[in-house]
Amino acid sequence: MSIDITVKIGGEAGQGIQTMGHMLALVCREAGLYLMAINDFESRIRGGHSFFQIRICDKPVQAPHHKVHLLVALNRETYDLHKGQLASGGRVIMDEIDGSGEGDLIALPFSELAKKAGGMIFANTVAAGACLALLGTPFELFKKVLSKQFGKKGADVLEKNYYAAELGYQVVKEVAFKWSFEWRADKPKGALMDGSKAIALGALAGDCRLAAFYPMSPATGIMTHLSLLSDRFPLIVEQVEDEIAAVNAIIGASFAGTRAMTSTSGGGFCLMTEGLGLAGITETPIVIVNAQRPGPATGLPTRTAQGDLHFVIRASQDEFPRFVFAPGMPDEAYEITSRAFHLSEKYQVPAIILIDQYLADSMYIAQKPYVAPERIERFIAQDDDMENPQQYKRFAVTSTGVSPRALPCAGKALVVISSDEHREDGHISEAIPDRIAMVDKRNAKVPFMIKEMNPPKEYYGESGTLLVGWGSTEGAVKEAVDRLRDEGSDIGCLNFVDLWPFPADAAVDALKKTKQFLMVEQNSTAQLGQLLREQTGFVHSGAILKYDGRPFYPNEIVDGVKKYVR
Amino acid sequence: MVGIKDYESLYKNQWCPGCGNFGILEAMKDALVSLEILPEKLLIVSGIGQAAKTPHFLKCNMFHALHGRALPLATGAKLANHDLKILVNSGDGDCYGEGGNHFMHAIRRNVDLTLLVHNNKTYGLTKGQASPTSDFGMVTPMQPRGVISEPFNGLAVALALGAGFVARGFSGNREHLSRLIREGMQFKGFSLIDIMQPCVSFNRINTYNWYKKRAYDLFEEDYMPDDLENAMKLARQWGDRIPIGVLYRKEKQNFAKHIDVLNKGPLISQQYDPARLQAVLDA
Repeated sequence: MSIDITVKIGGEAGQGIQTMGHMLALVCREAGLYLMAINDFESRIRGGHSFFQIRICDKPVQAPHHKVHLLVALNRETYDLHKGQLASGGRVIMDEIDGSGEGDLIALPFSELAKKAGGMIFANTVAAGACLALLGTPFELFKKVLSKQFGKKGADVLEKNYYAAELGYQVVKEVAFKWSFEWRADKPKGALMDGSKAIALGALAGDCRLAAFYPMSPATGIMTHLSLLSDRFPLIVEQVEDEIAAVNAIIGASFAGTRAMTSTSGGGFCLMTEGLGLAGITETPIVIVNAQRPGPATGLPTRTAQGDLHFVIRASQDEFPRFVFAPGMPDEAYEITSRAFHLSEKYQVPAIILIDQYLADSMYIAQKPYVAPERIERFIAQDDDMENPQQYKRFAVTSTGVSPRALPCAGKALVVISSDEHREDGHISEAIPDRIAMVDKRNAKVPFMIKEMNPPKEYYGESGTLLVGWGSTEGAVKEAVDRLRDEGSDIGCLNFVDLWPFPADAAVDALKKTKQFLMVEQNSTAQLGQLLREQTGFVHSGAILKYDGRPFYPNEIVDGVKKYVR
Repeated sequence: MVGIKDYESLYKNQWCPGCGNFGILEAMKDALVSLEILPEKLLIVSGIGQAAKTPHFLKCNMFHALHGRALPLATGAKLANHDLKILVNSGDGDCYGEGGNHFMHAIRRNVDLTLLVHNNKTYGLTKGQASPTSDFGMVTPMQPRGVISEPFNGLAVALALGAGFVARGFSGNREHLSRLIREGMQFKGFSLIDIMQPCVSFNRINTYNWYKKRAYDLFEEDYMPDDLENAMKLARQWGDRIPIGVLYRKEKQNFAKHIDVLNKGPLISQQYDPARLQAVLDA
């Protein structure tokens, strides 16, 4: 890669770190560059330490980098915490009131310049200006982004921001930066996208009409995006009293005929498991997004993890079919979400989308245009489809396990549903044949559901060693593979997206080609590795596991692999 | 024309002989017939408990859901299709115990549905434990030294939270109860009818006769249910005289009316528009 620069902006919560980071991301996008940015913050509103780390590349990039080329320290603590990550020749810009003197440190009068521009509120624009100037960004490009961001706030605000930016540019005019590069005017390569937004858009592409939720990090962003769009679609986004209400409300909405979803994190999902079982036994389609964070209980609210795989595939008492998907990137999250609505309705089962804080909050450049489906295929039975609507049985036994699904009050057919075990007509039954028939009927869907599952994605799948992961680690694993291959290793990777019902045959086909495989997961017990052993008999020969709440950096995977492969 | 027969269920009833639920079931049928609601135009959502089995013993659309969770499920259904006519059957344990939080928030939302709380002051289906509404001191096999908590007053809570239709019925007075259900269903907004109901198997204190001696009819007293303070006094009246009737009625904008997108019709009837979505995707 000719351009591969990481800029880290750090400071206290409330200092506008994300606003500034977003500004940089918009400038890069405008110039036709690729980027990948992570958000790292504590579970508090003010104070503490947060950072936004953006990696700027001229090729698609899907993982953060562990070395920092330019550190923007909005307080002294940031410098002390992160100076160890500086690449050789890396620089730090910091307000001179926070200190000066060290070799790599460029002390700048940010506060003074901000006041000159009109007040401390402009400190971010000054710092962003200095940062972009060091990177060699044409000033006009920054102005263009500022006008898009602040244009609506009036001429005065915009002019002051221009001025603040200019002050930032001027103050570093004489400073040399090793990685300054020539910015070519190119078209944006795609939309600026984070996982939360991609899922919100995917929900619209799945024709979701009710989103009920209770706020919980890191899942709230999905609902924020949906809520902002809700006035343009037949969509209601409702914040309810708890996660139990959320899951039951979407079951009610789906039963009445609209597609519906909720989003939560592990703790909220715990509260939803009873409702998940209700969707299971009443065969009501619903979509639940679980944005994972480390647990158990409150755990690390704003951090990332992949610790809920075993939980979501088995959650709730007894047995019933469900779908579980774990997209790796926002582009995939868009498609998986829309597909989850489709498959959930087609098979009348709940669908769970597993993401994590890392995917939810990280920014990427979308690598393909997102396309709205031409039409939404519904799986609803109407009176006209029935020989005798008055004899309608909601849980009629069929060869596929899927019964024609009518909607309440839509015709003569009465829809009778019970959370108790039931007869074909939906009324309670404790009769042995009814119980067996209903369990068998629900399970009969599984072979058909497995046929819908995509095999794991292979990247150099014919290699002697494979790294095996799932969901959001895809980008970091692939980059690790690239680097190891550059060093001469015979290595590739598999990424599982469609996780349940488990595509065991496809997994066997992919694994039998390799001599050994290593798990790469963000949990402490290699949950997918255990599942592979259970479902395929194949056993991983090692695991690179990270469960500190922070995302994988490719170099950590490279180092991990070297412990097993020489 | 709708007749009682239209509501007859072929499903065999499971209640104890003499159960207070029978009176409620008959009063419901009377009300539905007088409102001329066809079975296929009615949705009943219920929780879990003997009360929540009610819709099985009627002919209608029904979702017999989880313990305590009938109200959020009904809310979701109503948001999806606000043309639905929804009745909710719940019990004192189901609604005020397991579902207490949902009860409070359903009132806040003012969703247009009618909630019937079959209040027999005991847990019937699990065989006679105290319920949230059991009187202080009531002895049960599970509370052998008597209940040591104050009873939950659903009517007072509902009034405090701003419910627009708050009523108390008695399962032993079918005609009176069917009038309450009729008025509750005609009310535009959340309507609560707490129904005093004997449990012939497990509550030996609050029997038919116990209630009969105490209940007095607010309709006969020419009571005007338009004053919150008076309603609150009546909601708290318990002992020798217990008022039955509409305690409070005040219409206000219901939940669906606050949601602009529903002006275009029920969510289920609106069209998916790929162009509109594509415009957002391309923005």
